Amino acid sequence: MELSTHEMDGGITRVELDGRMDIGGAAAVDMKMNLIAGSAKKLLIDLQKVTFLGSMGLRSIVIPARAVHSKGGKVVLYAPTEMVESVLKTSGIDSILPVHHDLATAIAALQ
Amino acid sequence: MSTISSPVAAMPAEDTAKHVSRLTLKSQLDDMALLWPWVEALIAQFAIPSDTAFAIHLCLEEAISNVIRHGYNGDPGHTLTVDCASPNAHEFVFTIEDQAPPFDPLEPEHIEELVEPSPEDFLRPGGRGILLMRKFASTIKYERIETGKGGGNCLTIRFVLPE
Repeated sequence: MELSTHEMDGGITRVELDGRMDIGGAAAVDMKMNLIAGSAKKLLIDLQKVTFLGSMGLRSIVIPARAVHSKGGKVVLYAPTEMVESVLKTSGIDSILPVHHDLATAIAALQ
Repeated sequence: MSTISSPVAAMPAEDTAKHVSRLTLKSQLDDMALLWPWVEALIAQFAIPSDTAFAIHLCLEEAISNVIRHGYNGDPGHTLTVDCASPNAHEFVFTIEDQAPPFDPLEPEHIEELVEPSPEDFLRPGGRGILLMRKFASTIKYERIETGKGGGNCLTIRFVLPE
């Protein structure tokens, strides 16, 4: 599981996740995600390259997202695959963390 | 939920004949690293479609992590087995057996605690793993097995390939 970050215009932090968000993948990114959430106020979590998402992986997204929300920030999820999006919808997370497939719309939602 | 007399009785003779593979894991989350390659080998062997493969990975990860964290309560000194059977070309049945105290993951009282409960129900993982399994598996069945040696739990997760 790989994680990279890019600072975008408008104070947006884009976190690109790459790989399987299974138990091992979640453990691999947990600390980095929490560190990023500690400083980011507008977080775009790019899921394009996430090939698997289980409940532990969900937790690795939701806990840092909550940290951002708690300080008045915003978080969006960007471009999950069909199956990953199905996991997001089944768990109900999509009702709290909006999912966008268009980058411009995702960025606009963070403004 | 039903009670049966032995692990052998859990699997009808015709299913036993179509048993494909068994994976034995220690009751520690680290051992789950063995799960992915085992499932991948089955997926390759039977050319299982990608969506079903995703569902199998998802359900097995949820079910096995439940056994380790809740059934065995994090105690690493035990084992569990995962069996795969294929009664026909379109169906795969995974059976997870352990020797833990009675633990029915489908019962509401065993549903995972909220990580950070909040008025907005932000996380709502209570039942999240179970919700996912119910969504992605064709059927799930729990049975308590009484063997005379303390017994165990048996969770059967079935996947039917899309036509």
